[in-house]
Amino acid sequence: MEKKNKAAKANKKRRNVALSKSLAPNNSKYMKINNKKEQRRRHGPRIPTALNKDLKRLNPEPSHDESDWESEEMMEENAYEYEEAVAEEEARKNRRFDSVENYEYELPEDFEDEDVPSDDDIPSEDGEDGDKHLRMLEGKERKKFVLSDFQGDSVDGRIDIHDLLDPLHGKPGYSNLRKRLHQLERKPLAVQAPLPKVEREKLERKIAYERAKKDITKWEPLVKRNREAPTLYFDEDVNLGYSTVGAIASEFTPRTEFEKKMSLLVHNPEVVEAHNKDGARLLELNKISVEDVRDHQNRLAKMRSLLFRHEVKSKHIKKIKSKTYHRILKKERLKEVSVDVEMDPETMKDNARKQEFKRAEERMTLKHKNRSKWAKRILKRGLTVQDEGTRAAIAEQLNQHALLTRKMNSMKDSSSSDEFSDDNDDADEEFSPGTERKDTFRLLNKAKENTLKAIEDEDELPKSGVFALPFMERGLKKRQESAEEEARIALHEYDASLRQLENENGVESPKSTKVSGRKVFGPPINKTQESSSRKESYNADKSSDSEDDFEAVDCVDVAHEVKNHSQELHLGAALHDDPEKTHDSIFRMKGENVGDDSTTRDEAVQNPQEPNSNNIDQDSDDDDLEEEMVDGFLPSSLKHDYKLPSQTDLIHRAFAGDDVEAEFEMHKLDILNEENPEPEKPVLLPGWGQWTAIQQKKGMPSWMLKEHENVKRKRDDALKKRKDANLKHVIISEKVDKKAEKLLTKTLPFPYTSKEVYEQSIRMPIGPEYNPAITAGALNRPVAEKLLTKTLPFPYTSKEVYEQSIRMPIGPEYNPAITAGALNRPVVVKKAGVIIKPIQYEEVDPHEKPEQPKCIVQKPNTRPKAKKAKSARGRPTKKTSMGKSS
Amino acid sequence: MSVTRRPASYSGVKPKPNSSERRRLPPTIGEQLPCTGEPTALYSTHEIMDKDRLVTATEQDMSDELNLKTRKYLRGDGANLETLRDKKLKGQLAVREKLYSQSAKAAAKAEKWLMPTDEGYLEPEGLEKTWMVKQESIIREVDVISSRKPFDMILPELGPYNLEYASSGRYMLVGGRKGHLAMMDMMSMDLIKEFQVRETVRDVVFLHNEQFFAVAQKKYPYIYNRHGTEIHCLEEHGAPLKLQFLDKHFLLASVNKFAQLHYQDVSTGVIVANYRTGLGRTDVMRVNPYNAVIGLGHSGGKVTMWKPTSVKPLVTMLCHHGPVTAVAFHSGGQLMATAGMDRKIKLWDLRKFGVLNTYSGHAQTMDFSQKGLLAIGNGSRVQVWRDSGNQEYEKYMSHAMVKGYQIGKVSFRPYEDVLGIGHSMGISSILVPGSGEPNFDTWVANPYETTKQRREKEVHALLDKLQPETIMLEPSKIGTVRPPRRKERPTKKETEEEMETAVEAAKSITFKKKTKGRNKPSKMAAKKEEEVFKAKRPFLEQQMNNDRSLKKQRIVEAELPKALQRFSRKKAS
Repeated sequence: MEKKNKAAKANKKRRNVALSKSLAPNNSKYMKINNKKEQRRRHGPRIPTALNKDLKRLNPEPSHDESDWESEEMMEENAYEYEEAVAEEEARKNRRFDSVENYEYELPEDFEDEDVPSDDDIPSEDGEDGDKHLRMLEGKERKKFVLSDFQGDSVDGRIDIHDLLDPLHGKPGYSNLRKRLHQLERKPLAVQAPLPKVEREKLERKIAYERAKKDITKWEPLVKRNREAPTLYFDEDVNLGYSTVGAIASEFTPRTEFEKKMSLLVHNPEVVEAHNKDGARLLELNKISVEDVRDHQNRLAKMRSLLFRHEVKSKHIKKIKSKTYHRILKKERLKEVSVDVEMDPETMKDNARKQEFKRAEERMTLKHKNRSKWAKRILKRGLTVQDEGTRAAIAEQLNQHALLTRKMNSMKDSSSSDEFSDDNDDADEEFSPGTERKDTFRLLNKAKENTLKAIEDEDELPKSGVFALPFMERGLKKRQESAEEEARIALHEYDASLRQLENENGVESPKSTKVSGRKVFGPPINKTQESSSRKESYNADKSSDSEDDFEAVDCVDVAHEVKNHSQELHLGAALHDDPEKTHDSIFRMKGENVGDDSTTRDEAVQNPQEPNSNNIDQDSDDDDLEEEMVDGFLPSSLKHDYKLPSQTDLIHRAFAGDDVEAEFEMHKLDILNEENPEPEKPVLLPGWGQWTAIQQKKGMPSWMLKEHENVKRKRDDALKKRKDANLKHVIISEKVDKKAEKLLTKTLPFPYTSKEVYEQSIRMPIGPEYNPAITAGALNRPVAEKLLTKTLPFPYTSKEVYEQSIRMPIGPEYNPAITAGALNRPVVVKKAGVIIKPIQYEEVDPHEKPEQPKCIVQKPNTRPKAKKAKSARGRPTKKTSMGKSS
Repeated sequence: MSVTRRPASYSGVKPKPNSSERRRLPPTIGEQLPCTGEPTALYSTHEIMDKDRLVTATEQDMSDELNLKTRKYLRGDGANLETLRDKKLKGQLAVREKLYSQSAKAAAKAEKWLMPTDEGYLEPEGLEKTWMVKQESIIREVDVISSRKPFDMILPELGPYNLEYASSGRYMLVGGRKGHLAMMDMMSMDLIKEFQVRETVRDVVFLHNEQFFAVAQKKYPYIYNRHGTEIHCLEEHGAPLKLQFLDKHFLLASVNKFAQLHYQDVSTGVIVANYRTGLGRTDVMRVNPYNAVIGLGHSGGKVTMWKPTSVKPLVTMLCHHGPVTAVAFHSGGQLMATAGMDRKIKLWDLRKFGVLNTYSGHAQTMDFSQKGLLAIGNGSRVQVWRDSGNQEYEKYMSHAMVKGYQIGKVSFRPYEDVLGIGHSMGISSILVPGSGEPNFDTWVANPYETTKQRREKEVHALLDKLQPETIMLEPSKIGTVRPPRRKERPTKKETEEEMETAVEAAKSITFKKKTKGRNKPSKMAAKKEEEVFKAKRPFLEQQMNNDRSLKKQRIVEAELPKALQRFSRKKAS
């Protein structure tokens, strides 16, 4: 109660302080410091006045008023401290101070006083910055104090561990216990820092795993049993409780509010009654007011029409194919967005980021920089050739690129302009003027290549038609010669100019610093000079017929010139038609023969023939020789001088089958060789690899010998592996019978891992022919068997009835003949082709007992009023008796 | 035709005649166990005669016997399940093994009832030898029905006779060299059909039942039915010297004058195989009842074994130094007897193709009985050898025909203790106690077959017909894992591994340090890359080739329309 009062007081005073603060703002700093002091000083609900006085004595500087304020302030701040303290105390969280409290209790009041100043002194030196921290620390210590105080007060009513221990005094183990307690008291229990999350989770998982494992083991015997069981039976009558949805529904009890409401409505006796009756009452119950219905309908109609309109509109918009319309639409949308962007800094920022991203992407991919296949193709064909649209598209693309990479431009303006211009260059390479050394270099190279190609191309000349005429041919020859000459000169020139260029490159490289090194396409200026000089040279030569062409051609590529020329040459050649001559010319061109045509040709023709004839001669000689040799042999072999065979010969012949063993061995060897052919002995080709006589001494190269050895060893191994390796008198075919292969398994069937086990497992036949009846069934039982039916057969509703109905065997073996027929009679007995007519109504006396088993009998002649369906009365018909007999 | 009964004479030897019925085990594919509930037809009214001689077996003996029988039905040991790591499989196999053992035990127990009798034999007393026993004395001792079985049929006109029994042992086919054919019901001693073909008859053989038989005549083999109607003339075979029928496969095999071996499926009429033996003309041909492999004896002393799906003989054995005169196979499939002109009779173990025993003696013809007796016909003498344990065959019986008779063929009658002899002057039969299987299985062969049963069996046999490729030296290998082929294409994994090692090797190549800017990192990297590429290249190429060929194959197989398929190149197989 006292505390509460004080709190109220503090509240009052706070207001005062606020006032004072406003009055004296320059004092605020000081006050703060003081405030801290006060805070530090607080350690209990009631600060003794003596202490206050002491403080004042120690710090004389603050004026009385101020100190008063301070104290007031302190009080004000204490207000919540109080409460906290109370809470702590009530909670009695700090057990470890229990022991201290005892001491406190015994100590006199002075002790407190002594403690306070020392406590005060330390924080007074601290700066403002550390004040928060210090306050915290302070709080702790203070709490201690507070606790000790209060616990000291309340200790009478509480039982502590010592009280509990006392009665144990003198008992065995007491000292031990006390020691431990002492230890506990001495060494405060340090709570360990929690483990890092990862490790903690790991541990948790581990424990969870252990538990799960333990849980699962209870299934082990069951699983084992099922695994080892040869057959699983699913015949146990498991009661599921419900068999139908209806059964489940009948058990339903409403639980939630809604369900209850529903059930109330559904089971409303009125409704139920209405349902049970013809339902006319249901209509009455369903009554709704006319207004309601109308309202509802109107609302629905409105909604529907709105929906429809919207749908129609969107459909219409979707159908519009006009690009302009869509462009306008897009623009509008963009405008909206842009307005938004301008309005909203957030979106602005977002947009900027997006833009930046796009720029980076563009710089990375260079998507809009003539890299695409399309752009390349267009540039290759030349922009001048393109139509306006394409050009515009290219320009657009480049513009896009420029736009996308603008940031850089804005940053480094000077360099960017260059780049931009470069881009432009790229875009319209054809138009950019200026000649570059490299270009000429390249062009020259190209020209050279083309000339060479043209020279080579001249091989393919037409050899028929008008070109076959002699004068044409002559003209062609001339032309070719001249063309060749020209080409050679051109080549020389190219070479020269190339060399020059190279030299110039070396010299002029410092000069051409401003050259960016880019390819620039355009009408070359230097080249014209070159070509003109070349023309001069051509003129000087005066050897070509195609001068005019050259003159006509003014400012064309060298390559072009040469090409033209070669084409002309082709034409010229085509005019001639003598195949031989053309051949000649080709010969000459290739070999650069300037000799007489005919002689060379003759030679060329004769030369290949001569060796042939020689060869033939030699061959024939050889043949003759061979024949002679054969002749030399023949007489001897053909002479049929019959001599009486000698005695040994006769004996040999008589016992022709005697040497079967050797024969057999030979045969076996043959077969072995057929399967594993004997390796050939390594032979050196004479002259191969022999540089000196010394090398010959070395003999075969080692690798050859090694290889031979290897092959031999392999063969021996293979032979040793054969089944008949140790049987001299037996040849066992090792051939694999492909047809019989299908009778063997390629791989072991699944669960088996060893061949032996598998083969032993199939050693026994399991068919009923090979096993006694007692085991044949067990051996052939399927893995899973469903022995009993789960549901009762249709008409039965009771299990007992069903089981009793099947208890008797119905076969003819188990029943006397008189009943067997009736027992096994089919439900419907019918002759083939007889159509079963629908049963006609008749009056049957329900109380009459049938003497005969019920049998539907259809008589061939139907009397209108006959009783057909159930021939309960009267004699059995013919058909029944037939059925019986069968 | 006349039947002469041999006069009975005394001998101090007690014959133990063939007695009542038992079942026979099918020779080729697995054994058949006795089945409960099968119709049990009693074969004959033979009785066990010397019950007094039966030793009262103690219980120990009985259990031993049962164990022995059980072992027989277990067909080898089960796998060692301890080594298995798969627990599920282990469990399943354990259950299976248990069932197997149960089954075997049940079969062994049932055997006592279903196969009640053992075969009989001659038992010498004192210094007597079994081969000294004359037929007369045997006949005097046996029951009346058995005493009617030996006979001599003198048929002097139509040359040396050949004979053949049906698989049930009830019917006999007789073929005279000069064209005399006859079929007899040996149970009632009725002549079913007898006719002349007026052509050389070299061999006769029954097809799947007594309804049809094939005859090797002068130019072609013919098929007749039991009424003597010619059904087929098998021209493709050429002039056959010998015929054999593989009843499980419905294959008629013949070897002709040009030493060509033909296999023809008699159910479909397809010539399954046609091979040249290339070893000269031969008329020594027998089928191994265990695996349906055909053995041919050649003039070079070789015996070759053939199956319809292999061009080359499966096995070529050098058995004799002279021409081989006779070959016979034991029904167990492991024993072969050969006789040669080098005056040797040899017994071979077909599991290791080694000689078991060599005896000296000539043999024109040989035959193994169901119980493993070996009959050897030579000149006018017939000898029957018997396994005295350890596959040491020794003389068991001997029988001399009238001097001058040349024995052409000896053949044991199935399920009877009778040996049929075809010779130059007709046919004879003698009693050989202990030769036939005393218990027959009606599912396998039923001497008392009714027409209905026969038809049923025919249908079953056709349904169960084995394909020619199932003929192999070791039929029990069917269903087992194929042995790895020697030259198989390396698997994808292997090639990949190889490529990886090659690439690794290429990567680890260190290059020489070069100067003048050729040691730039970029250049080195390029070089390395090139090396790696070089290493990879052959593998990639090979893979590409493989893929292409596979693709092509697939296209050829799948996409060609039916009309164009005949133009596609056939794979060489």
